[in-house]
Amino acid sequence: MVLWVTKCLITVLRVKQNQDITRDRELLLGLAKGDDKSLEIIYSENFPVVLRMILQHNGSEDDAKDVFQEAIIVLYEKVQSGDFTLSSRLKTFLYSVCRHLWLKKVQRTYGLYALSPELEEVIPATEELEEHNARDQEFRIMEGAMSSIGQPCQTILEDYYLHKKSMQEIAEKFGYTNAENAKNQKYKCLMRLKKLFFDQYKTP
Amino acid sequence: MKEDMILLREIERYLEGEMSEQEKTAFDELRRTNPLINQQVEEHQLFLQHLGNYGQRQHLQAKLDKIHQQLDMPTLRKQAQESNQTAKRLLIRRRTITNLAAAACIALVTSLSTIAVIQNVARNKSTAQYEDVRRVLNNIQRSQNALINDMNSKSKAPLNPGTYGGTGFAVSGNGYIVTNYHVVAGADSVYVQNNKGEAFKAVSIFEDISSDLAVLKIADSTFKSQPLPYALKPQNVKLGEEVFTMGFPRDEIVYGKGYISAKTGFNGDTTAYQVSIPVNPGNSGAPLLDGKGDVVGIVTGKQTTSDGIAFAVKSAHLKHLLDEMPKDKQIRRDLNHKSHLEGMNRVDQIKKLEDFVYMVKVYN
Repeated sequence: MVLWVTKCLITVLRVKQNQDITRDRELLLGLAKGDDKSLEIIYSENFPVVLRMILQHNGSEDDAKDVFQEAIIVLYEKVQSGDFTLSSRLKTFLYSVCRHLWLKKVQRTYGLYALSPELEEVIPATEELEEHNARDQEFRIMEGAMSSIGQPCQTILEDYYLHKKSMQEIAEKFGYTNAENAKNQKYKCLMRLKKLFFDQYKTP
Repeated sequence: MKEDMILLREIERYLEGEMSEQEKTAFDELRRTNPLINQQVEEHQLFLQHLGNYGQRQHLQAKLDKIHQQLDMPTLRKQAQESNQTAKRLLIRRRTITNLAAAACIALVTSLSTIAVIQNVARNKSTAQYEDVRRVLNNIQRSQNALINDMNSKSKAPLNPGTYGGTGFAVSGNGYIVTNYHVVAGADSVYVQNNKGEAFKAVSIFEDISSDLAVLKIADSTFKSQPLPYALKPQNVKLGEEVFTMGFPRDEIVYGKGYISAKTGFNGDTTAYQVSIPVNPGNSGAPLLDGKGDVVGIVTGKQTTSDGIAFAVKSAHLKHLLDEMPKDKQIRRDLNHKSHLEGMNRVDQIKKLEDFVYMVKVYN
């Protein structure tokens, strides 16, 4: 009798867990498609746990925000690359990534031995993070290069390459007499950016 | 510089598919023949990819910030703090419980082992504290005995005084003697000798190890039966009652006087008394008598740690034992009559008694 009840309970729990994972997978699918709603759900459901964890380990709210957003970026990159299958629950994944990130951050800030012994990894997330670190490096280089080419250049390039605006629009926005002038300016900016970027970015 | 810019523009046109078919073929040709230009093209492709990633991430970051701003931070903060506090409390409680459990375990182990050690020590001590008062006869006593034997040449007892000695007393007129089991334990042969120096061969006919009593029967034709002057008192004696004993710690009968100091014997043994009386090796099996001359117990041993504390098996137990004896060995009930010693002074009592107290000599 007891055995039967236990069995039933286990089955129910497993079904529940499976449902959770299914739901998590749907959310990830939404994230991959760039669905803002999915992102919002993932964010608002998981942030409180991470906030609690960071606060518990003497972090601030800003720390929690930084760490959590970085974890979301990791998740996003993973999902975008397309080869990511969720093996654990999304909550567990994010939590362990956050823990790992916070661990590294604390180590960086306070040295290796200032760690509380409870702050050990739940799931080793090293593999996920190595890839992310490389990408993060590239992002930082690009960010640095962008910020040092000056405001007008940055806006022109962002408008053209990221916001996909036409040269005509850009010319109007910046008061160039024609699109050709704007184009010339854009190339100048692009060349400076490329130079700055490749100065730091070593081609593999 | 200018040329670089023209090249860049051409590359962009090429990558964005703005070139006409003719131009494209020409550019492809150029890429193939000029590796420098080819490298530039690839570099630009890589750069654009990075720029795209950068933009994507910035976009995402902006979205995240927006979502974050929508969060109800004060509530979340409060919730987090509360749950952290409960977690901390739980952690502290769990730690306390763990510590307590560990302490309790240690305490338990310690106390158990202490008890074990103490019990062990106590047991060792008990055996050390209790001592049988049978006598190991040494050479001096032997020679002394030999002299006595010479003087009383009518005795047929062997010259060898035996290995161990104790005391016994008659429980019937026809030669039944009670002594301690530990006196006759492992004996090859047993002789009893009275104060006059007369020795008789005796055999142990009944032994009770638990109460440390043995019944001997004199198996010697020269023994003449005579009525007992004393009786066995089956009732318990009162605490503080004066008692006396007669025994053979030496080759001479020795009188000792004392009182009942406790109603139980060694380690609370209810079949025995604690008696405050001088007892020496050789007193084992000596009768313990009250003022009226009734037998109230049998001296068995003493406590080594303190002087003058002896133990005696209660007469009630002896009576019980005699009743229990197999039918064919039944003793004539001489002990049931009234004592003849009542009202006599101690000196006369002793004079009457000494004929019925024997030295028990054991050979093995």
